[in-house]
Amino acid sequence: MKCDWVQQNLTFYVYNELEDDARYEIEQHLGRCPECAGELKASRKLHATFSQHIVVEPSPNLLASSRMRLQEALETTTQGGIWQRFIFEPANWMRQIRMSPALAAAIFIIGFAGGIGATYNYVSSHSTNGIEALNILKNESNAPEVAAANIAGIRSITQEPGSNQVSIKYDTLSTQEKTGSLSDSDIQQLLLLAARNNYNSGIRMDAVDQLTQAPNDTSVREALMYALRGDTNPGVRLKALEGLSAFVVRDVRVRDAVLQALINDANPGVRMQALRLVEPLKADSSVRSVLTRLSQSDQNTSIRTQARAMLAQVPELD
Amino acid sequence: MAAQGHRIDDTSLIREAQRGNRAAFEVLVRHYDQSVLRLAFHLTGSESDAQDIYQEAFLKAYKNLGSFRFECSFYTWIYRIVTNLCLDHLRKKSVRKEDAPVATDPSGEEYNLLEQVPDARAGADPERDLMRRELGRKIGTALSRLTPRERMVFELKHYHGLKLRTVGEMLNTTEETAKNTLFRATQKLRSALAEMR
Repeated sequence: MKCDWVQQNLTFYVYNELEDDARYEIEQHLGRCPECAGELKASRKLHATFSQHIVVEPSPNLLASSRMRLQEALETTTQGGIWQRFIFEPANWMRQIRMSPALAAAIFIIGFAGGIGATYNYVSSHSTNGIEALNILKNESNAPEVAAANIAGIRSITQEPGSNQVSIKYDTLSTQEKTGSLSDSDIQQLLLLAARNNYNSGIRMDAVDQLTQAPNDTSVREALMYALRGDTNPGVRLKALEGLSAFVVRDVRVRDAVLQALINDANPGVRMQALRLVEPLKADSSVRSVLTRLSQSDQNTSIRTQARAMLAQVPELD
Repeated sequence: MAAQGHRIDDTSLIREAQRGNRAAFEVLVRHYDQSVLRLAFHLTGSESDAQDIYQEAFLKAYKNLGSFRFECSFYTWIYRIVTNLCLDHLRKKSVRKEDAPVATDPSGEEYNLLEQVPDARAGADPERDLMRRELGRKIGTALSRLTPRERMVFELKHYHGLKLRTVGEMLNTTEETAKNTLFRATQKLRSALAEMR
């Protein structure tokens, strides 16, 4: 009966889904039962087979084209349940007022149109080549002059019938500034956005550098893992590794992210740093299997040598 | 702390999007769309099918955002939509009796998702490359033996690292059912790989 129960739960044991007491019971049983220990070995082998084999991931181009396609579709899609827009929730309204500066800054940072729309009249010059010089006139509300760098996007262009008056609606960007300490939730929110979305690698580096000072926070750790997995700049990935270094031993997700970097990162400097970080865990079976692979097939000689040296220090457990 | 930073961010964005702010919805999409596309791509094996599911999932979310009442996280909610779309796709695919997870790129060229290795290091060792391709073929065949639901649970657990409780929520079932499904899936995969040795 006990063996049946143990073998039915070995899959969940391998996938770390058991409660602590069940886990303890299974480990006690495995120490006494060679048959169940053999079943565990087979379960782990299956897990490793699927984990080590690399599956093709969607390309950045596929993601980019999916995003563009969605953006186009959203322009002509309307939300359902129009009545829902008029539900007034006072508590949430108050929260919105507190959060709105950070929310506005968040939308600007990733470059979506979120600024103020204004309408201007353009008067064309009488030239044989058509419209050449455009004079911008302020409208009755005294809106500021147009500067091309501040324009986020053009919404519509309409010409008054029978006249040379053209009306163009456009959105503008406005830069805002927020000052605060790292413990300020708005500052943290902006840093998390900058680390994920900013198109300037220098800004992402600065954001990740700031976030490494507060890696105890779960969302900060997730942002650092995100940067390690997917940032295109190796300097940003190295900085993320630095921030995650204290958690490789105690956080399984961080360990797995570092192991993924060891296998997949194209930059040998990043792989070498990741290798140093997993050194205390070299006895762990998943780490050992990655080290084995590195020792055999990494392109970099130093990494292969280092991986072999680490494996040599670990006694064979199977 | 802002351990709930992402959640607070999502809550604000959802509220804004429910008020018709499309830009807020687009920010929300960016928090999850890579994982959504990854899930759709792994399960469909086709870039165009994955893109269609991505599109349909987020448009559905946009249209129905007014009915989102914060009873679960947005993450769970959007995954519920995507998993249903993927399950529909897998069910249609199993009716057509397709086997290996053969993907088609935009030019129409077919390739096996589990044979292709985007790793320049593999090219240096043809024998290792051949072994990897062979293993990929076996894994693909083994996965094709799973039912759509088993495939989905295995994908969410193994490749996305989700807790089975979350998997159950996404598939509108219990954690216990998700556990049983995972157990059946791993048993089938083990038998299938053993048969192919």
